[in-house]
Amino acid sequence: MIRQSWWKILAVVILVYTILAGMLIPLKPGIAEVTPRALQAGTEVELTVTGYNSYYSKAKNELRAWLKLKGDVVLKAARIEVLNDRTMKLHFILPQYLPSDSKDDACSLILDSPIDGAIVLPDGIALTQDSVNLLEGKKLWSVDKMDQLNAGPKLTFPYRSVLYESIRNQYFHVPLWFAMIFLFMFSVNFSVRYLRTYDPDADQRTLALNRAGFVFGLLGTVTGAIWAKYTWGAFWSWDVKQNMTAVALLIYSAYFILRGAFQDEEKKARLSAVYNIFAFAALIPLLFVIPRMTDSLHPGNGGNPAFGGEDLDNTMRMVFYPAGIGWTLLGFWVASVAYRVEKLQQRLLDA
Amino acid sequence: MNFFAQIGILLRKELVLELRMGYAISGILLYVLSTVFIVYAAFFQGVNSPMLWVTLFWIIMLFASVNAIVKSFVQENGARQLYYYGLLDPLAVIVSKMIYNISLLFFLSLLTWAAMAFIVGNKVEEFSAFLLALFLGSAGFSILFTFVAAISSKADNNSTLLAILSFPLVIPILMTLIKLSVVATGMLEDTGIGKDIGILVAIDLVLAGLTLVLYPFLWRD
Repeated sequence: MIRQSWWKILAVVILVYTILAGMLIPLKPGIAEVTPRALQAGTEVELTVTGYNSYYSKAKNELRAWLKLKGDVVLKAARIEVLNDRTMKLHFILPQYLPSDSKDDACSLILDSPIDGAIVLPDGIALTQDSVNLLEGKKLWSVDKMDQLNAGPKLTFPYRSVLYESIRNQYFHVPLWFAMIFLFMFSVNFSVRYLRTYDPDADQRTLALNRAGFVFGLLGTVTGAIWAKYTWGAFWSWDVKQNMTAVALLIYSAYFILRGAFQDEEKKARLSAVYNIFAFAALIPLLFVIPRMTDSLHPGNGGNPAFGGEDLDNTMRMVFYPAGIGWTLLGFWVASVAYRVEKLQQRLLDA
Repeated sequence: MNFFAQIGILLRKELVLELRMGYAISGILLYVLSTVFIVYAAFFQGVNSPMLWVTLFWIIMLFASVNAIVKSFVQENGARQLYYYGLLDPLAVIVSKMIYNISLLFFLSLLTWAAMAFIVGNKVEEFSAFLLALFLGSAGFSILFTFVAAISSKADNNSTLLAILSFPLVIPILMTLIKLSVVATGMLEDTGIGKDIGILVAIDLVLAGLTLVLYPFLWRD
């Protein structure tokens, strides 16, 4: 029995691992908020920084902070006052002129701590000056240097604005889709086998795989909708991929309805196998071609960068790829149970 | 008799049948005209935006196509179909039906365009691009609907089944067509028009290829 079911055990082990790791590994420390966001050159300012998952008091004296402008010119914080782990006040003495040829500029804030590592708040702070003096500005801003940044904690997920903790949904939403695609691919395979052999067993396998795939598609849509509520503001934003998903689910609903339309078992199996192959071929442009040519909120579509780079770091990969395998294996397990139920029902009908 | 000669004969048969039973084709024509008129009456402020015009055009075309094609397997009873399959290559039957339906739908789309232009007003500026969209649309619709009609004709309540089975599948074609047609109205400057045409041609070819592969499993009862 162990020899037959090793992949089910593997699925459980992988899923337990991905759920534990995916839920327990903390996000990388980040900057949640900085006030004020607009600074005037030639003044002394006090920035209040609110951190996320940060440990400022542990690193108290080794904390450093810079304001960074274009062209790698930085200004170091004159004084840092740590209130608690999550809040600190930074004092900057801004020079009279900015190293900029316009009156307005934007700078980023960089924190460095041996505990939290280097944290960047890109272009978050606006700077204004009353008059422009590029040469003087460059001189004034090139006193400080930014060096020896710390690497920070290793085992973390990226801290991304908009996503925040919901980045963990990556281990559920996306792998559920993978599982659905694999289930539908195998169901097409069994449809082809049915049309070659007219073996009722292949038809029952197709039905079971499609049922499991449909459930996984529904779960993928629901997890996606919940994610969309937190990141895009609404459960359903008429995003092209959401619409195509709805269409894909409609296609497979039509498959189940088609099966219900026939009394004759052989006819039911044959026609639904034909429709299943036809529908899967129509599904491919739906899921892989159309979303790429239309504007979409999803990563990797309509000019958006693909989910990768800074969004998917190596720690995430360690959870994300196993999650894909785990959910797919679970999908096949569900399908095999559905197949056995179908078999037993058939046996009851025949008896 | 070779394959192409069979297709030729079947096409002639379709045309003769269509002309002999004039009510079917004139019914579809009247259907298009009255739908266009309903659109005109319902949008009493006028269809001003090209986007709306294009969308309405393709929705009218979609329903007219379903109505035109649903009869292609219904009007001939099972016994006569058995006779065809005994006499001719089943593939020739479906290919001739597809070719016939493509020309029927193309004619129908030209007529819908004329009716829209006459009653609602013409919004199309680039005629060649729109004609291409019409042709690719007719081809996609007729291949898809002919095949799905072949499936649903095996069941009893087949007009509902045709809609349920084919509408989700037609959406990618419809979306690409609407995008292409909006470009043809001159509302959008789209340099990626070649890609849309490529996608439509690819979808049409894939559907046609699948029909040819799968039909031999379908006709037998």
